[in-house]
Amino acid sequence: MSTMAASRIELKIPGRPEFISVARLAVAAVAARMGFDYDDIEDLKVATGEALTNAIQDAQTRGREGGEDILVMCSVEAQALVIEVCDQGSGFDPERRRCALEQEELPEGGLGLLLIEALCDEVRFETKPGSGTLVRMTKHLVRF
Amino acid sequence: MGNPVGMELSSRRLGATTAVLTIGGEVDLYTTPQVKEEIVGLIDAGVRRLVVDLSAAEYLDSTALGTLVGALKRLREHDGELRLANPAPRIRKLLEITRLLKVFEVRDSVAQALEGWHEQGATA
Repeated sequence: MSTMAASRIELKIPGRPEFISVARLAVAAVAARMGFDYDDIEDLKVATGEALTNAIQDAQTRGREGGEDILVMCSVEAQALVIEVCDQGSGFDPERRRCALEQEELPEGGLGLLLIEALCDEVRFETKPGSGTLVRMTKHLVRF
Repeated sequence: MGNPVGMELSSRRLGATTAVLTIGGEVDLYTTPQVKEEIVGLIDAGVRRLVVDLSAAEYLDSTALGTLVGALKRLREHDGELRLANPAPRIRKLLEITRLLKVFEVRDSVAQALEGWHEQGATA
């Protein structure tokens, strides 16, 4: 969409559960403005919510809920929306989490990673133990 | 900050061991604890057959799905059952991605979910 070409929208939210919906709504508004359809907008809302949930649950585990801000960045590209969720948490090993999930017959946790990877066209995790996490999620406007 | 999500939660008992829990609106990390508390309360009060009515649920995140899995496990420990009623296509999609569509019994309505659970007063 020409009026939003190469735009970048940043939202810094307190790392508390009540702010997840605020970020979801912001991402949905950007995606709607770009022309994504209903299903894609819902996919982006879920993926963004899950990335934030991971970050906040990590902070909760360390007794740091609300103590660390989380940055949500939306980059509007010509044919894609790139959403980055960046925290200052303890980091994690996505492969190890995937393996743990595979081994559970009835998993109560770890489902967010599955959702993020299924609902976005490209996903990249930049994380390692102790250095925070950047989740980079891309959704294309036109399917290739 | 008040409740920005908008979740509605209610339950009704249909006999001594059967209940319908209705979840509406958006359930995420912020509101999931209320759902968990309600389910634990129902199980503690003797409910062993639970229908979760998702007709009015607009959004469930992974923590909400995890809570439903937890409820299923707890009910099975008591030889109980949990069924989901009428999830919207969006929520069915999430159940499919997380492979939970094979785990839960999913029915098209509360009445269908209650079928076979004969208990005095247990009708939709």
